Order: sequence, then structure tokens, then C-alpha cells
Amino acid sequence: MNQNEHNFDDLKKLLKLKQHEVPPPGYFNNFSGQVISRIRAGEAGRSQSFTERLQVEAPWAMSIFRIFETRPGLIGGFATSLCLLLVLAVVFAERSEHSSQNLLAISAEPAAASVGNSVTAMTAPTLATGSDNSGIVASTNPVTSLQPTATLFGQEGGSTLFQPASFMATGH
Amino acid sequence: MTMTMAEPADIPETPVQTGEMDLVRRAQKGDLEAYDELVKRYQQRIYATIYHMTSNHEDANDLAQDAFIKAYSALKSFRGGSTFYTWVYRIAVNKTINFLKQRKNKHHFSLNDLDFHTENNPDLVALISDKTPVREVGLSELQKKLNEALMKLSEPHRMVVVLHDVQGQSHDEIAEIMDCNIGTVRSRLFYARQQLQGYLTEYAKPA
Repeated sequence: MNQNEHNFDDLKKLLKLKQHEVPPPGYFNNFSGQVISRIRAGEAGRSQSFTERLQVEAPWAMSIFRIFETRPGLIGGFATSLCLLLVLAVVFAERSEHSSQNLLAISAEPAAASVGNSVTAMTAPTLATGSDNSGIVASTNPVTSLQPTATLFGQEGGSTLFQPASFMATGH
Repeated sequence: MTMTMAEPADIPETPVQTGEMDLVRRAQKGDLEAYDELVKRYQQRIYATIYHMTSNHEDANDLAQDAFIKAYSALKSFRGGSTFYTWVYRIAVNKTINFLKQRKNKHHFSLNDLDFHTENNPDLVALISDKTPVREVGLSELQKKLNEALMKLSEPHRMVVVLHDVQGQSHDEIAEIMDCNIGTVRSRLFYARQQLQGYLTEYAKPA
């Protein structure tokens, strides 16, 4: 390795030529200033882009801001009216809740009555007793199943309703 | 654009200076004055490295500024695992290599002038004295040939030569900057020197 390094002596001397190279005098006096200016410009650009975007997307908001800038008293009025609106909304929401509860209480009794009637009005399947009194009972009213049945290929039939036929037990 | 030459002593010898971490912390909080101080500390080294890689003053100026701006925007992610100097160097090196890959085979030299200090360098004088009768012409020619030879190297090989033989960085520092091991740095340096010697046989003959 030493032999190799020794072989590069002339090259190392030659490379010293580049070691001396620097830009024109005074170049570095402004360099850091330019970097900082570009950083500041970038930061200002980012904040500016937000206002520009707001101006494009919601020009009405920008016009409101401008009005507020020229008339600071309006900000107070606007804030007060917003608070009032909020309070009114809360009060109105509570009142409407009470009224809906009252309505529920009033309609609860008739509703219960009508529910009872409807239950009794429903026809329950009657049991037919066999004439031979064998103890086997059968329903005379067919029960309709509204559940869809599976087809032969295992696919559910969309509108097919299963409706078993009524039967009478007649002994063995 | 022409390039002037200056004393190597103009470049700070010790990159890590006292109060660096304090400046970094202040800059992380958005203190641009602190960051300005950090830029001033390392601007010459960063610029010089990029210039020697590109052989173009305008490109070096743009890339060096971009590197410092990128470093500022990424400063919050800097945890202090390495020195700020190494960290910003790494940003500059990566930026330069990416730039050179995009600009592949489109070298445009923008070299600065040589100043009178170069003529007083005994090593350089010895190299050119028996080659050209007029010393000034010889130095300009030498500078051009040297830059052309460097541009023939691949970016990683050129970077190692620039950092070690021109900038005077240690193998350890180069390994950290280039994110590779020391063995790779050594082998790249050896290969790059061999290549350069081949391109510059007229001036750099093996002993």
C-alpha cells in the first residue's frame, strides 16, 4: 500500500492545484445572506399561498376579513351576534325536546289501546280436533312462511314463498 | 466564469467549533440569525466540494444554496447523531450526485481564474517547469486537463478524491459523509487515483 501511495505523489501534488481554487473575491460575503433571504422568501411564500388560496376558494371570506380590518367595531358585533345565535339555538333545542316528550306521553295511551285491539283481532290458527279423538291435533289455518326458500341449485329464490298445504291427521 | 485561487488556509481547519449545538438548537426553533452563523461556518467547504465535483461555479453556487436551504427545512429531524457539519455535508453530497446523474455527459466547465499564489507553489512549479516554457499558460492548461480528468471519473470516485486529496478529509469522515465503510472509501480512492494517473500521464507519472 505504501508503494502505491508513493506512486501517487505526483498526482497528489497536481491535485493541490484544485485545493487553491476559490470563487471571485467577495463571493462569500453575500452567500449566507442569499441563503437566508431564500429561506425567508420560502416561508413568506407558504403563508402567502394560504391567503391566495383563500382568496380563490372563498372570496366572500376575504371580503369579510377586509371589512373587519377597516371596521374593528364590527368584529365585536359579529362575535356578539354569533354568541346570541348559539344561546338561542341551545334554548330552542331544549324547548323542542320538552314538547316532543309531552307529545310522546299524550300519544302513549291510545297507542297502547290500539295495540291491544290489534293483537286480539289477529286470527290465531285454530286447532282442529279429529273426530276419532285420537289425540292428534292439526291446524286448519295454513301458516304462510315469508322466508325465501332455496332453489334446487342452492340459490335463494328471490320471490318464491314457501306455503305448506294444510293437512288433517286421519290416524295411521 | 473564471476561478481565482486562494490560500488553503482560508478554509477553516476544524469543522466542529464550540457552540455549534447551541446554534443548531436555536436554528431548530426558527432563529435565522443562528442559522446564518452556521452557514457562514461551512459555506466555503460546502461550496468548494460542490465546485470540484461540478467544475462549474454557477452550478456550485445554486447547489450549495439549495443544500443549506434543504438542511434548514430538515433541521427539525436533525437529532445530533452526527455533527451538524457532517450532516449538512451529506445533504450537499447527495444533492450534487443527484444533480450530476441528471446532467450525465453534459459537462459545461465554468472554471475560475488562477491567482498568483499558484505560481509560488513549488510542487506545481516543478510539475510544469519542464513541460511548458511559459508558466502561466502551463498552469491554465494544467487546470483544464485536471478538471477534464476528474470529470471522467464516476461520481462516487470523484467525490472520494475531492474529499480526501483536495479537501483533506479523513477516511472516517468520508465514510460517514458518503454512508459507506472505510474499506469502500480506501478502494474507491485507490481506483480513482489509478484512473486519474492514467488520464494525466503527462504530468503525474508513477514514481
